[in-house]
Amino acid sequence: MTGPAKPRPDGSPAAPDPFSPVRRFGTTLGGSQPQTEHVRVTGPDLARRAAMDRTRDRLLIAAGGFALLFGLVMLRLADATVIRPAHPKAAAVLRHETPLPALRLPTIPAALDLGLHTGRAMVTDRNGELLAVSLPTVGLYANPREIVDASDAVQKLRTVLPRLEVDETLARLSDTGKQFVYLARQITGHEEQAINGLGLPGVYFQSGERRRYPLGRVAAQVLGGVDVDGHGVGGGVEKIFEKRLRDDPSPLHLSLDVRVQAVVRDELVHAMEDFSAIAACGIVMDVRTGEVLAMVSLPDYDANDFASTTTEQQVNRAIGRDYEPGSTFKLQTVSMALDAGTVNIWNGFDATYPIHIGRYSISDFKPKARFLYVPEIIAFSSNIGAAHMAEAVGADRQRQWLGHMGMLDRLGFELPSAEPRAPSEAKWKLASTLTIGFGQGIAVTPLHVVAGTAAVANGGIYMQPTILTPEEGAPPRSGVRVMQQSTSDTVRKLMRLVVTQGFGQAAEVPGYYVGGKTGTAQKTAGGRGYKADARVSAFMGVFPMNAPRYAVYMMLDEPKANASTHGYATAGWVSAPAAGRVIARAAPMLGLLPDTDNASAIAQALNIPLQPGHPPGAKVAIPPPGPPAKETPMAKNAPRAPAAPLGAPTGAPLPALAIPTPATPAEPILRDLRHEALYVAPANAVR
Amino acid sequence: MPTLSRADTSVLGRWWWTVDRWTLLAVGVLIAFGYVMMLAASPAVAERIGQARELLIVKQVVFLALAGLITIMVSLLSPQGVRRVAMAGCLVALALTALTLVAGTQIKGGQRWIHLPGMSLQPSEFLKPCFAVTAAWLISEGKRTRGFPGTLIALGVYAVIALLLKSQPDFGMLAVVTAIFLAQLFLGGMHPLIIGGLGGLVAAGGAAAYMFVPHVHLRVEKFIHPDKSEHYQIDRAMDAFGAGGLLGRGPGEGHVKDVLPDAHADFVFAVAGEEFGLILCLIILGIFAFIVLRGLLRMLGESDLFVVLAAAGLVASFGLQALVNMASTLDMMPTKGMTLPFISYGGSSVIAVAFGMGLLLALTRRRPGNTAMGNSTMGSDALAGEAW
Repeated sequence: MTGPAKPRPDGSPAAPDPFSPVRRFGTTLGGSQPQTEHVRVTGPDLARRAAMDRTRDRLLIAAGGFALLFGLVMLRLADATVIRPAHPKAAAVLRHETPLPALRLPTIPAALDLGLHTGRAMVTDRNGELLAVSLPTVGLYANPREIVDASDAVQKLRTVLPRLEVDETLARLSDTGKQFVYLARQITGHEEQAINGLGLPGVYFQSGERRRYPLGRVAAQVLGGVDVDGHGVGGGVEKIFEKRLRDDPSPLHLSLDVRVQAVVRDELVHAMEDFSAIAACGIVMDVRTGEVLAMVSLPDYDANDFASTTTEQQVNRAIGRDYEPGSTFKLQTVSMALDAGTVNIWNGFDATYPIHIGRYSISDFKPKARFLYVPEIIAFSSNIGAAHMAEAVGADRQRQWLGHMGMLDRLGFELPSAEPRAPSEAKWKLASTLTIGFGQGIAVTPLHVVAGTAAVANGGIYMQPTILTPEEGAPPRSGVRVMQQSTSDTVRKLMRLVVTQGFGQAAEVPGYYVGGKTGTAQKTAGGRGYKADARVSAFMGVFPMNAPRYAVYMMLDEPKANASTHGYATAGWVSAPAAGRVIARAAPMLGLLPDTDNASAIAQALNIPLQPGHPPGAKVAIPPPGPPAKETPMAKNAPRAPAAPLGAPTGAPLPALAIPTPATPAEPILRDLRHEALYVAPANAVR
Repeated sequence: MPTLSRADTSVLGRWWWTVDRWTLLAVGVLIAFGYVMMLAASPAVAERIGQARELLIVKQVVFLALAGLITIMVSLLSPQGVRRVAMAGCLVALALTALTLVAGTQIKGGQRWIHLPGMSLQPSEFLKPCFAVTAAWLISEGKRTRGFPGTLIALGVYAVIALLLKSQPDFGMLAVVTAIFLAQLFLGGMHPLIIGGLGGLVAAGGAAAYMFVPHVHLRVEKFIHPDKSEHYQIDRAMDAFGAGGLLGRGPGEGHVKDVLPDAHADFVFAVAGEEFGLILCLIILGIFAFIVLRGLLRMLGESDLFVVLAAAGLVASFGLQALVNMASTLDMMPTKGMTLPFISYGGSSVIAVAFGMGLLLALTRRRPGNTAMGNSTMGSDALAGEAW
């Protein structure tokens, strides 16, 4: 230690020395030492003391904070023990006692007239028919540490529950590392009583609930299912409305009508068998409200046994898969063209020659090889005509139209749906416009098609599809007007024409004035062209066309022709008849009786000639806008060498097209976009 | 305890006359309650973890005895010794905490434990008191010695600890360490606005943890929206308090210990509430409050900033741990997995708490001239010894 701080030689005051003995042993504040040096030295000391005083103030604040916190915990403690003690209502369960369901009956709200006191709400159809219900059940479990003789217990238990596996049960009961092992998830009341009578120590019952689906496979995908713990699984109502079903005990009313649902499923099952299809899908929707009355997807599964289902069974094809809609989309094209004023009903297009555009070749099934009027294009489902019609409207307006029709976005449906696949705006060039005009080069879910067609048929209002019945007293659902009433009126006549004179005649049901459109789309082969003999055949119907009420969609995936269809597996042969049978069976259930009394008047009102007369001076043929797509008469364009580079100009140079020429593959893949046709390749062999 | 003459100048004699005997007594009472709760909860625990009850009791007897011994041994240290032990402990605990990330045992979603023969060790439990002392020294030294960036170094050490605890993850411990450190900065005279800013940063960090760390999100969500099945433990604990009432069901009569896996550890307060009722719980609570408030208020008469900050940090650490445990058992905050000091069953935590209390008692021992009126400070002594 050194001596006291001394003034520096230059006379300046001593630097503050915290370790100065003066500080260590010396003065208190206002001390008695007279030396001025010492007063200077206490300068920083004063600051330090001020800091300590501040620290002391803050210590008091901290102590106050702690006192407050301890006080709060004390209050809460008093609150939890004596002021508002919790009632240990669950203690009975903890002590392994299971109150009998009957004992709880008096507390059941009157609304649950089934007398079921279970946690999860029922799901019913629009008429209150049960689709899903939770039933109280009893689970059997054991505490292995309390089991006296495991093998004896297994023997006794098996006298009541022969389904118990000896080895497995013995292993569970012998696992003394656990205090809780399930022996059987769900046993009957009778079994419970019998096991109770065995008097086995360490064996207990646990009350639980079990989700049951009385209709099994009917509406399986719409409902989904529950896992062993009773949580909703799958892509259906059980999962999507999980919270609602748990929180609100009142039944959830779906818009489905189980009777219609059963009819659609029945007809689809038969059609699937008849034509050896790999899958099928059917939808019935109220075109005025958007309420879905039936939604079937095959293959399906028993909703009571969700655990053992496959993905193919779980997927709801009505909303969960995208398909190229095929010719059902021509209703969109014609509505768009009429609504825009691009064509009138008396206009038409030359469908003499297939269209070659880039690698694509657009031709007709059963070509008329002549000029076709608009009604003929729809009735005979001319791809060439529809492509020209779309071209006349143009890519921008087509895109806009389909956007309004909801075809470019995921459905605003309650259940999860697939995202449509369509070209981006940049890639939506002429080839896309042409092919989308007849429903290829775009993929949407069946419900997209149904919702869009309903808007065409119901007077021009797009209704968001829904799976729920509106609340009682709720205002009617409102939609969005997407076209003029007059357009809808005209297209309804065209839809009727398809069934009276076109490809959809098999869907006709006398007195119901069915209208619609067939659609057969070839399936893409993993993005590399189309599969030769795999198609999706759909019929998109609406009835009755004089006052549209319901849309009916029936689709078969990869149907095979059979003897009764004369070798055809197109929609007109496989899907339209099924749709007709659904209408014949379901319409009476829905309160619609066949109207045969006014048949001729209605037929007259819906009549539209295949070749309407045009007003004097009106131009019939619509020239395509801009540089015309190259039309190559097949006959004149001598057989094209199959090995010709794809996209390479054949004959005269093609006009500048947006389709980039791909690198020449070794093996050319010709995309044949003809629809409703048995596959006939290559293009140069087309008749 | 044999009477020690005031004239006895042996180590023990000086200790006895200088130590804070009231706090020592309070710790003794807590340890006694720890024994009682062990006797109450042990049958259920023994059944659950499959060990003989006697072994459990012997283990806890040994641990609590060890705890008492450690408290006394550590309290024999001089403030200078406290500083050295704590700083060394801080380094070791940091290294061990870092080691948990590579060699730790995963328990209940966090990798916080190191397995030793016979017991598991949670190094962050020791890190907490050691860091409190280290931070106190850094802050006070930063104020005493010009040019020594003590507060900045303390912030740096804190950042390392925060990173380690975040990686485990142990957000409960992180929150407590953060609260203690902020309190020390506050007591050290940092401007309230800066503290507020740091607190804001912590709040932002907490919000980020809530948003991006599923485990934290779940805990908070469970607290805000109790789910029937997931809120099970808290419901049982509340049932236990409700069943206990004023006087309790009686020793050994409780049920909650049968159903709660953590009844002997994190939820021991609920067992106490059920079997012994409000009055005993209030007594336990009162003892914790007594230790904390007495520890803080005694510092009003202390002139050495290091001692003030270190003692306040240790006392806050002890008090917050008790508060967090009791508050989460009482459904006032999300469950944090913190033990009730001295009362919960468990080896590593009680040793760490005892160590912290020992440090506190060592710092609060009366030393010649360590009152506010005195001028001599331990810190200057220590530094003088080293610098001169």
